[in-house]
Amino acid sequence: MPLHIAWRILTHQKGRTALALGGIFIAILLIFVELGFFIAVPQGGMLIYDHMRFDLLVASNKYIFQAESWQFPRERLAEAGRNSGVAQASPLYFGGAKWQDPGGGLRLDIAVFGFDPQARPFTVADIENQTAVLDRPDTVLVDSQTRPLFGPLQSGRVVELNGRRVTIGGDYVLGTGFLGLGVVLANEANFFRLFPNRRPEQVNYGLVTLRAGADPDLVARELRGLLPNDVQVFTRPELAAHEISFWTTRTGTGLIFGSGLIVAFVVGIMVLYQTLATQITRQLPQFATLKAIGYSNGFLNAIVLIEAVLVMLIAFVPAFAVAIGIYAVVRSKTLLPVNMTGIELGGVLAATLLMSVISALLSLGRLRRADPAEIF
Amino acid sequence: MAQETADRLPRALPDNRSVPLAWRNLVSNKRRLIRSSAGIGFAVLLMLVQLGFESGFFNASLGVIRQLDGDLFVLRASKYRFGDEDPFARRDLDPAAGVTGVASVVPLYAAWQSLFWKEPGGDKSYLVQAFAFDPDRQVFLLPEVNEQRALLKQEDAVLVDRRARPFLGMGGDARETEINGRAVHIVGRFGLGPDFMSNGTVMMSERTFAGLLTGNRESAAALPVEYGVIKVQPGADVAAVQQALAAALPKEVRVFTKPQLIAFETTFQADLSSAGPIFWMGTLVGFVVGMLISYQVIYTDLADQLPQYATLKGMGYGTGYLMRIVFEQAALSAIIAFVPAWLLCLLVYYVVGQLALLPLHMTLSLTLFSLALTLAMCLIAASLAIRRVLTADPAEVF
Repeated sequence: MPLHIAWRILTHQKGRTALALGGIFIAILLIFVELGFFIAVPQGGMLIYDHMRFDLLVASNKYIFQAESWQFPRERLAEAGRNSGVAQASPLYFGGAKWQDPGGGLRLDIAVFGFDPQARPFTVADIENQTAVLDRPDTVLVDSQTRPLFGPLQSGRVVELNGRRVTIGGDYVLGTGFLGLGVVLANEANFFRLFPNRRPEQVNYGLVTLRAGADPDLVARELRGLLPNDVQVFTRPELAAHEISFWTTRTGTGLIFGSGLIVAFVVGIMVLYQTLATQITRQLPQFATLKAIGYSNGFLNAIVLIEAVLVMLIAFVPAFAVAIGIYAVVRSKTLLPVNMTGIELGGVLAATLLMSVISALLSLGRLRRADPAEIF
Repeated sequence: MAQETADRLPRALPDNRSVPLAWRNLVSNKRRLIRSSAGIGFAVLLMLVQLGFESGFFNASLGVIRQLDGDLFVLRASKYRFGDEDPFARRDLDPAAGVTGVASVVPLYAAWQSLFWKEPGGDKSYLVQAFAFDPDRQVFLLPEVNEQRALLKQEDAVLVDRRARPFLGMGGDARETEINGRAVHIVGRFGLGPDFMSNGTVMMSERTFAGLLTGNRESAAALPVEYGVIKVQPGADVAAVQQALAAALPKEVRVFTKPQLIAFETTFQADLSSAGPIFWMGTLVGFVVGMLISYQVIYTDLADQLPQYATLKGMGYGTGYLMRIVFEQAALSAIIAFVPAWLLCLLVYYVVGQLALLPLHMTLSLTLFSLALTLAMCLIAASLAIRRVLTADPAEVF
């Protein structure tokens, strides 16, 4: 019954309802955009890990985040491999190199991953299909999102990495996340030719895959007992929690987008409240009449709450559609993984539902003032 | 007849200057005034916050460059931003001292990817930004650095940034820690603050720097230089000295004035870093959302006052007069809403600045720019909503 009345109120004056929908649409869109930015930061930090093949990650006990990983002795991986649940424990090397065109120009920072292509550390088809290319001497694969500043990324181009001439063997689509302006991949032999001071005995990341049926939490516990404390073992959820916490609480980017999200939330509540309060003020005569007929305050409150939720739900649809478009623009401009996933969708839906209930409750005060004797 | 009416009636009506109608319209209903001011005010706040974040982002990246005490800077020609390690041989700087107009040349050594600071009392080490120079020479404008730089002559002494991110533990009163596994003594602190690339800053002598990087303090003389910091003689023309330097120095290096160095870093942050475009887009979203909210508020206000406008029209006031009232009212709304939003924004800047350790400051230019945007927002909104008033039919409204 309150639903029916709320619907009739909304459809009675379509122009006013459209105006209210517009306001709420904006508020929801704002939350979408700010939440998208905010989530993009940890997602950018997780992008590479999300495309790596492992069940457990072994890292140095000094590990800070992906780009500040420190190193640990390679023999830890051999020790881990003796656990019955472990199928494979392979090393992944990481370093920062300088990229320069042989003809001169800027010396740009680029991230380099070194690995054994047979260990298949990345779950990216382009990389797995080009293992033969990686095994050519002084050949690298380059991430297709490496910035235009680096020049053309076509196969066959010769560039200098740390002063050594290497050939671009091909590219792959993954994304550079927050590792910097560009990423290249090399096999172990080529990696150590680029970093002559690095030793293969010192590893940045240990990628551990488990046998079918092995429980990651259980094996992680066993490995923690087995391995010396110069390393730590992360399950995938633990690693995600660690990286997300790093990006959202310890970097300027995370903190500022977190603040932006809070501001957007407050502004959104105010816009919703404004819109709802205006609607109620307008409908005060109707509400007062209902009151005079004998409907209870609770009944009127229910109408307002339902009206709020209805308007919110209707405005949500176009806001969602426009947000998808804005995300696409941001993705292309910033190369950050601003994606419409369940987190964004669910988060914004929950946030806006909460906002519409809060603003409806705020505007109920007006309703209580509806005095049938005064209105007319 | 129509002509006659138009000519005669307005003259019989009160002069619009004697009744501040736009103002009266605004204040006649206090509750509505508060409501619409709050609406526009939050739109303004949103815009100010986004603008502040953007300028805070750039100010953080430029903070340390602004603190460099030099007129000209020699850097390797292949450098693509202020904070990438791409040093040049110290001997490349030698010809600079002989160039006419050059008063002093001080080599500045720096590291962004090479020095790991151990949190005092903790067990984690983090990358930090480090600068090294001859403690007898002035390279930075920071008064605290200059007052304490003599202390850097002690072996393995460092000055640290008390405004660094808290997890580095630079802000406390610890005296001892390690950098790259070697013990260092904290002999003093200065206030700089982190940026989006580095979490904290350490300053030291060339000898200490060489010791931390190579394990041998005596190798300082052979260390490559990140910046040659040059002061010109009083009265010398900076641009002329810059040209003379460029001609005298090898092709591997180039010479920037301080504004050029700032522009160099700004371009990198704006175009190449991942965060720059996000802030720019945030500001745009803030403006568009603010504009739509203002439109909503102004349109609602006008719709509420439609009977009054229709009455004026019925009395014979012309379109021009009504338009003026509407625009005046919109401008007044903008200004009334701007003041509390501006004040609230000071609080937001303070809180976020403390939390994120970013230089968020209200400046005159930020104030004027956002006030102009607010006025533009409200006037555009009014011009969109005005059709409603102009088509108001006195006979229909009541």
